[in-house]
Amino acid sequence: MTGFLALELRRSLRDVRYLILAVAMPVGLYLLFAGLFGARGQRAQGLPQPVELMVAMIAYGAMWAVFSATGPRIAHERAIGWTRQLRVTPLTPASALAGKLVTALAAALPAMVLVALTAVASHHVQLGAAQWPALLAAMWAGVLPLALLGLAIGYLAGDEVAFPLTMALYFALGALGGLWMPPSVMPHAMQDIGQALPSNAVAELGWRITGGQASALRAALVLTAWLLSSATAALLAYRRPNIRSTH
Amino acid sequence: MPAAPPEPATAQQASEDRPAVRATGLAKSYGPTVALAGLDLHVAAGETVALLGPNGAGKTTTIGLLLGLLTPSRGQVRVYGRPPAQAVAGGLVGAMLQDAGLMPGVRVGELLAMVRGLYPEPLPFGDLVGLADLGSLLGRRAGRLSGGQAQRVRFAAAIAGDPMLLVLDEPTAAMDVQARRNFWRQIHAFASRGRTVLFATHYLHEADDAADRVVVIAGGRKVADGPPAAIKARFGDQQVRFTLLHGSPARLAALDGVRTVEHDHSRVTLHSTDTDATVRSLAGSGLAWSGLEVGGPDLETSFLRLLGEGS
Repeated sequence: MTGFLALELRRSLRDVRYLILAVAMPVGLYLLFAGLFGARGQRAQGLPQPVELMVAMIAYGAMWAVFSATGPRIAHERAIGWTRQLRVTPLTPASALAGKLVTALAAALPAMVLVALTAVASHHVQLGAAQWPALLAAMWAGVLPLALLGLAIGYLAGDEVAFPLTMALYFALGALGGLWMPPSVMPHAMQDIGQALPSNAVAELGWRITGGQASALRAALVLTAWLLSSATAALLAYRRPNIRSTH
Repeated sequence: MPAAPPEPATAQQASEDRPAVRATGLAKSYGPTVALAGLDLHVAAGETVALLGPNGAGKTTTIGLLLGLLTPSRGQVRVYGRPPAQAVAGGLVGAMLQDAGLMPGVRVGELLAMVRGLYPEPLPFGDLVGLADLGSLLGRRAGRLSGGQAQRVRFAAAIAGDPMLLVLDEPTAAMDVQARRNFWRQIHAFASRGRTVLFATHYLHEADDAADRVVVIAGGRKVADGPPAAIKARFGDQQVRFTLLHGSPARLAALDGVRTVEHDHSRVTLHSTDTDATVRSLAGSGLAWSGLEVGGPDLETSFLRLLGEGS
């Protein structure tokens, strides 16, 4: 199990799509948006621009990291038969699933930390000593439902569909979830949808913590609902018989 | 801790006490489609057994059931006395499946080291590299191998754990003649270490060359079970074809090995149990002929004939 996990992690770090989209993209977008909107203005959350954008891009980077480590990769492994080969080794299905989940979460961490470091270096973002670990821990835990959603896609979708589907979901959750622009500039109907999305709830956790607010009940409830439904979907998708037997 | 049922402490002990495979009345249906219709299969520890049959006979279904990838509709299968999933989880089984692939994005050496790490008593890495002839491939990306190279790595992944039972589903399907010969040499080397091998094939000569015993299945049932020579005599319908230019067709039936003779104008088909002997005696017969062809065993025809006889 540890060997399996170690190899999955090593493989993640070599994945160029992961490095570009999960790490370079949020860092680049942060620098772009923070430069465009200036360091002084305040956005709807009542936070300084660089802080609010940092939280949004941490959520954005973490989201692609967990998606890229699950959906397209698992669908590809199923298509080429690696999943089947692994099933005839002593690695139990539960360990294989757990390995995928841990790898996805581990992939999110570098993206999150690098966006935070960029914000500190480029816009001198300052948080309290307890706020940093709280921010990263809460947001890290918050992407768990997204990782499970990625698992469900990986075990349901075909190889050709999984990547575009994951990409579409990534952009939709980013845009509607208020990671690109503040939800307050969107029409009311879209704001309502946005508030129910896990991407928005992850960012909301971060905004609350950086704003010094103790309670993020709504975000926690949204994430719990997504956690339960994604976990159920992932489990059902995984247990779906995927053995072709024509002989 | 609650008392657990006695389990063999090591893979070694498991092999001595129990048959490698024991299936009774094993059946699998998909809705109205019957893939396997009640198979009894017994493989003793240390045996090399071929599961021979045409496409659609139920070979892959049988293998899926005995690896725990499928759940039987009826009947039962035990691997070293355990339910298949437990035997697999315990590291007693290694398998090379028909459409199984390799982990993408990693090197062959990394992949095999990881697979070894999943088993309680894996083959020493050096032995593995030697047995599967991998020396030059270890640094290559697993996703960028040629078909034949990938096949070698898949074989290595199947034996990496030094399993007591090695299961192979039509392992040579994508190989050329030379690769096949090397492959069976490797299987033999692995089996000679006291390991049990069960392989599915639709080539009679492959079963004949490599197996101690051949189990023939067709239409989801076992139709024969015996030593290769007996199976070959019963199923080995090979043909010698040529155009008879000159000579009495009546003499053809008397050539060595000939079972039946067919004519299509001057084109002759001899059904033979031993094509070597038939060709030799044809050459010495004084008959004039041209356009000689020798056809391998036509299993489909043999199976159909046998199924016809059985019903």
